[in-house]
Amino acid sequence: MILTIAGHTFREVIRKKILHVLIGLGILIIAVSPFIPTTDEPDARVKMMLVVFFQVVVLLCIVGIIFLSATSLPHEIEYRTIYGILSKPVSRLKIVAGKITGFALLSALLLIILGLLNVIAIQRIASKLPEGYRGILKARNEFAASQFSIQGKSHHVREGIVWIEGGRSGIALWSFSDLCKKPDDKSSFEVEFDLKIDSGRKDAGAIPLVVGIEDTGTGQCKTVVLSAKIDEPLTVKIDPELVRKSSILNITAFPIHSMDYIGVTGEDAKLYAVRKGFISNYTKAVGITFLKFLLIVTIAVMGSTYLSAPVSIVSALVVFLCGHILDFVKDFSLLIQSYDVHEHALPTALKKPNILLVYIDYLIKKPLEWLTVILPDFKRFDSLKFLLKGINISWETVGVSVGYTALYAGICLFISSILFKKREFF
Amino acid sequence: MDNSAVRTEGLTKVYKDFWRRKSVSALTNLNLNIERGEIFGLLGPNGSGKTTTVKLLLGLLFPTSGKSWLLGHSSIDLIVKSKIGFLPEESYLYKFLNAEEILDFYGKLFDIPKTERRLRIDKLIRNVGLHTYRKRQLSQYSKGMLRRIGLAQAIINDPELVILDEPTSGLDPIASREIKDLILDFKRQGKTVILCSHLLADVQNICDRIAILNKGVLQVMGNVRELLSQKDVIEFVVKNLSDKDVQEVETFIKSRSGNVLSINHHASTLEELFLTIIQQSK
Ligand SMILES: Nc1ncnc2c1ncn2[C@@H]1O[C@H](COP(=O)(O)OP(=O)(O)OP(=O)(O)O)[C@@H](O)[C@H]1O
Ligand SMILES: [Mg+2]
Repeated sequence: MILTIAGHTFREVIRKKILHVLIGLGILIIAVSPFIPTTDEPDARVKMMLVVFFQVVVLLCIVGIIFLSATSLPHEIEYRTIYGILSKPVSRLKIVAGKITGFALLSALLLIILGLLNVIAIQRIASKLPEGYRGILKARNEFAASQFSIQGKSHHVREGIVWIEGGRSGIALWSFSDLCKKPDDKSSFEVEFDLKIDSGRKDAGAIPLVVGIEDTGTGQCKTVVLSAKIDEPLTVKIDPELVRKSSILNITAFPIHSMDYIGVTGEDAKLYAVRKGFISNYTKAVGITFLKFLLIVTIAVMGSTYLSAPVSIVSALVVFLCGHILDFVKDFSLLIQSYDVHEHALPTALKKPNILLVYIDYLIKKPLEWLTVILPDFKRFDSLKFLLKGINISWETVGVSVGYTALYAGICLFISSILFKKREFF
Repeated sequence: MDNSAVRTEGLTKVYKDFWRRKSVSALTNLNLNIERGEIFGLLGPNGSGKTTTVKLLLGLLFPTSGKSWLLGHSSIDLIVKSKIGFLPEESYLYKFLNAEEILDFYGKLFDIPKTERRLRIDKLIRNVGLHTYRKRQLSQYSKGMLRRIGLAQAIINDPELVILDEPTSGLDPIASREIKDLILDFKRQGKTVILCSHLLADVQNICDRIAILNKGVLQVMGNVRELLSQKDVIEFVVKNLSDKDVQEVETFIKSRSGNVLSINHHASTLEELFLTIIQQSK
C-alpha cells in the first residue's frame, strides 16, 4: 500500500518531467565543474569537482526535492484528488509514509545517476594526477593518540592548547598503542600534524620542525626535519614495518629555533593507515547524503500535512537553512572573539567579556542553540570533509547517521500522522 | 448487529472559518436510515448540504455533532472503506495517467490481486464505453469521459455500498440512461446505492426512497411513489380513441361529478424524445 502510493508519487514527478530537469541541470553543473579555475596544485581540480558535487549539485537537488515533497500533499488536497485515496482502505499514516517513500526513491535515483556520472568524471581526471598527489583518492583510517604528554617544559597553556618554545626546551609526544591488531598488509602509514604555529621572527611563513618516530619495543628511532607552514597540515610517511612490529609508537615534535612556537593538543597528531578505496568511500558519502535527503523529505512532507504548499516549502527551506546556520553562528561568535595578536603571548586576563558579545550571545546564539535541540543537525551529514582529506568514512559514522535519521524521521512521521488524521478535506 | 447500510444520528456540520468563528451551518440534525439493498435518493437544491452529508459519511469531514455508521461500522473505520465505492461530485482524477493506469492505481489501493485487477479493469473500461480511449491520458479526456472513469473507479472493488454524488453531471442523455441502467443493475446485485442529485428526473424512476434537503435541513423522506402520487388525481393514458369517444368519456366523468383538469395527448418526456431520435439516427 505504501509502495503503491510511493510508486504513484514517483510516476507523477517523472511524467511531469521535473526529474528530467533536475538531472539535466545536475549533469550540466558536473560537466562544467572540471573547467572552474582553481589553484595550481594538481589535485585542486579533483577537489573542486567533489566540492561542486556535494555542495552545488546536492543543494540544487535538495531544493528541488523540497519543492516537490512540500507541495505534493497540498496539491492533492487542493485539486481534491486526495478524495480518491481517502475513500479507499488506506490509513492516513500510510498515505504520508507512501509520499515520503516516493520522494526518497526519487532522491535515490537522482543521487545514483548524478553521483555515478560525477565519479566517472573524477576518475578520468584523477588518472592523470602525479603520484604524489593521489592522496585525495585514498581512504585513510584514523588512529587517535592514546596518550599525549610534554617532555621538558611548556611555555604556557591557554584554552587547552599547550605552547612550546623551540630549541629543545620542551618536546610534544604522542603515543599510539594497539596498532598491530588493526592494520592489514595493504596499508601504508603516515602521521598528519595539525599544529598551531607562531614565530617571534619576522616574516616567518614556515618554521623548521624536528619530528621523531620511535618504536618503543626495539628503541628504533627515526628523526626528520620538516618545514611546517602556518595553517597547513603536515604529513610524514612512516615505514609500515615499524608500525607492524611495535606495540607502542611514539611520535615527537618540537621547533628548532628558540623564537618559534608550536601550539599542540592531544588531537593534533593523527596516525593514518592509508589504503586505496576512494570508490567505496565516495559511495558511503553519497549514501550519507541520501540520508540527508530522506530527512528533509520527511520534514517537508510533515509540514505539508498541515500547511499550504507555499508555506510548507518555505518552512522546509527554513528548517534546512537553520540546520546549517547554527554552525555559522558558532563560527561567527568565535570570529568576533579572536584577537589579532600573537596568540601565545596573550595573557588570560586580557579576555574581558564585551557587553555586545554578551548580547549577541543571548539574542542570537542561545535561542538558536535551543533550536538545535529541536531542529535537525544537517551538518552531521557533511561527508565532503572526509573525501577532501581522503579519510575513510567509518561504518560507525554511517551507522550513527542512519540511526539519527531513523530516529528523527520516525518522530516526524509520528507527528505527521497525528496532524494528518485530524485534518478535514473540504 | 446493525442491519442498515447507512445510519446517521443528529448529524450536524457547521463550517467554521480560519478563526474558528461560526460561518455556515451546512447540515442540521440529520437522521437517516438507509436499508441494505435499496436505492436512496438524496435530493435538494444547490447548497442544500448533499455533498456535505456524503463527505461526513466518508470521514472526509468530521461532524460538529452527531454520528454516522456505514454498514454497521463507524465512518472513520478503514474496514468499511473496502466495501464502499465513491464518485465525488466532480471528477478529481490524476490527469497524467491514462484510463488503465488510474484504475490500476485504485485497484492496488484496494489490494486486488494482479490478475483479478486486470480482468476487472478490462471489463469496467468496456462497461463505461471507453475501450477505444484506454491508453489516452486523462488530460485529453472530455468532461463526460472523465465522469465515466470516475464511475468505473467507484465500482472497481465490487462495493456493497455505492455513493454517487451527481453521477449524471456532464453526461449526455445516452450515458445518463446507461448510468441509470447500471444503478438498477446494482440493485439487482443487492448493492445499496446513495444517489445525490438535484435532477428529479434522474431520481424519479429508479429510487426506492428519497430524502429532500433544503438549507441543511431534512424536509421529507419516504417512498418515491407514495411521495409523488396524488391520491385524488387519476391519469388515464389511452391509445387509439376517437375525438367523439373522448368527449363521451369526458361527459361521463362530469356526470359522476368528477372535475376534469385537462385532457392531453400523452407526451413523452424530452429525454425519451432525444433518446429515440439519437437511436434512430444510428
Ligand atoms: N468548505 C466550505 N466552507 C464553508 N462553507 C461550505 C464549504 N463547503 C460547503 N459549504 C457550504 O455548505 C452548504 C452546503 O454545501 P454542499 O456542497 O453540501 O451543497 P450541495 O447540496 O452538495 O450543493 P450542490 O448541488 O451545488 O452540489 C452551502 O451553503 C455551502 O456554501
Ligand atoms: Mg454537491
